[in-house]
Amino acid sequence: MVADRRAEFEASLIRTAETRGQEAGAALQRASLLRDAVHRFSRNRAAATAAFAFLVLIGFVFITPMVVSASPYDINFENAYLSPSWAHPFGTDEFGRDLFVRTALGGRVSVEIGFAATIAIMFVGIVYGAISGFAGGWLDNALMRFLDALYGLPYLPFAIITLAIFGTPSFWPMVVALTVASWFTTARVMRGQIITLKENDYVRAAHALGARWYRVLFRHLLPNTLGVIIVFVFLELPGVVLGEAFLSFLGLGISPPKASWGTLAQDGYSSYQSHPYIIIVPSLAIAWLILSAFFIADGLRDALDPRTRSY
Amino acid sequence: MLKFIVRRVVWTVPVILLVILMTFVMMRQIKGNPFQVTERAVPPSIQRNLDRKYHLDKPWYIQYAYYVKGVATFDLGPSLVQRNQTVNDVIKEHFPVSLKLGLFAMIWAVLLGIPLGVFSALKQNSIFDYAAMGFVNSGYALPNFLISTLLIYFFAVKWRGVTGFPTNGFEGWHAWILPALALGHAPMTVFARIVRGSMLETLQQDYIRTAKAKGLRWRRVVGVHVLRNSMIPAVTAAAPLLGFLIAGSFIVEFIFGIPGIGRYFVNSITGRDYSVTMGITVMLSVIIIVANLVVDVLYGYLDPRTRDARA
Repeated sequence: MVADRRAEFEASLIRTAETRGQEAGAALQRASLLRDAVHRFSRNRAAATAAFAFLVLIGFVFITPMVVSASPYDINFENAYLSPSWAHPFGTDEFGRDLFVRTALGGRVSVEIGFAATIAIMFVGIVYGAISGFAGGWLDNALMRFLDALYGLPYLPFAIITLAIFGTPSFWPMVVALTVASWFTTARVMRGQIITLKENDYVRAAHALGARWYRVLFRHLLPNTLGVIIVFVFLELPGVVLGEAFLSFLGLGISPPKASWGTLAQDGYSSYQSHPYIIIVPSLAIAWLILSAFFIADGLRDALDPRTRSY
Repeated sequence: MLKFIVRRVVWTVPVILLVILMTFVMMRQIKGNPFQVTERAVPPSIQRNLDRKYHLDKPWYIQYAYYVKGVATFDLGPSLVQRNQTVNDVIKEHFPVSLKLGLFAMIWAVLLGIPLGVFSALKQNSIFDYAAMGFVNSGYALPNFLISTLLIYFFAVKWRGVTGFPTNGFEGWHAWILPALALGHAPMTVFARIVRGSMLETLQQDYIRTAKAKGLRWRRVVGVHVLRNSMIPAVTAAAPLLGFLIAGSFIVEFIFGIPGIGRYFVNSITGRDYSVTMGITVMLSVIIIVANLVVDVLYGYLDPRTRDARA
């Protein structure tokens, strides 16, 4: 009787200690880690500038079509091939359409495809990598060997074939094609993260205290990969946007009169000898996005994990 | 070492089989009838005969087996659209052109990228470093099609009288310069970044301090100790760069009108020449897989610690 009650008491002690320790530790760590990270990130001048540039671009892309009155689709041949001026800051194209609005609108398509595909890539990669790393053993082996094989597939041809399966290229086929062709790296990195984290003492402690696998996975392992996931969002986004631009430039992307930065660049390419600004504007927009995302990722990596310094 | 190589080589066989299977399965999902050249439907009897000729009436796994057998004997089958050509003919005609272009691009990338990285690292935080890294980062972000177009615009159109570069084609050595620059640009920036990073890391190692402390001339320290140990990451970067090159070659060949494999691939997709699409994809996959193999073996040779982990 007495022994029973003592065991019960001890168990409850351990339980409260465990939950308290976790809550306290988690709250403390979250606040300080986040605050630290934000602090370090904003102190990093390149990263802060890049974040500002990124927000400016996103703002331009989403707000301009709402504010500016010029229609992106109105054809007016009298205005064809106007050089950049106050009325048309980026000039007009062969149909007299205002390129300022079209760049914003095309950018919206590009950025939306980029974000949708990035989210899809992260989702697939995290699920695949987490399963592989957490399960271990033969399943891990099989999944990784499969991934090895997929690494042999050339990126652009693979995306093009996926697009061809859908027939007409539009928003979602594009997202699927880009996702299918580029989720491998995320999966591999996630697996590595999970495997490293699995060795930590707190994970062993959780196991020892009788935590179920899903608790270990969702409470201890996945939250700790958040930093890497955030960094990878900004590493994948530029790749996806560039991939979309490549496909659209080759004439395999969004069909006219809709536009993305890739199709705008293609339009510009057809008249580059006489009107080079038409291809320069959307290309620079892509470069702007790639560069800012790249420096944000760099800054985030330093901010979230002070041990790795970037040179 | 031999065991490692053998294991690694044997392992590529199932990987190649799997990649062929993936491509095969995906190609089967594409709708459309390659035999239907005009708007008229193909008569059923002819369709049946054609199906039988190309084994299309057999179940998919028999077709797959036929295909694998074909790949093993370097016979990728007939072109479905150009009846007098086989896929082998297409590859034989167009692949050497792409290979030459890729080789030139790679030479350019190594010749400029590695010295840029080395000198930036040796003069870290100097004006040269900032200028070089600014150039490299902006170059990394600018999409291939803009670089190609600008190269043509300036060197082949505006200053044609001075340079004498043609805008497209591949006749004579000077026609290769601009496409090689355009294609080699992205790999060049990658090399520069990686070499700079690994140089900085190596420079902080204890053995470098030791070498300095024992009075070795700085030139010798750099030449013998730093350079040699910093090149390993550059070797590993070479394999993923192949994907870069392939994707880039699609764009560059398109813009410069070079009849390489990338341009033909895009044509085959739009022209529904599935056997060509598939043949090129499989060939590119095999090249990537073999390149990964070579890099792995080379890496295992350069850095023996990785042998066990990567087997």
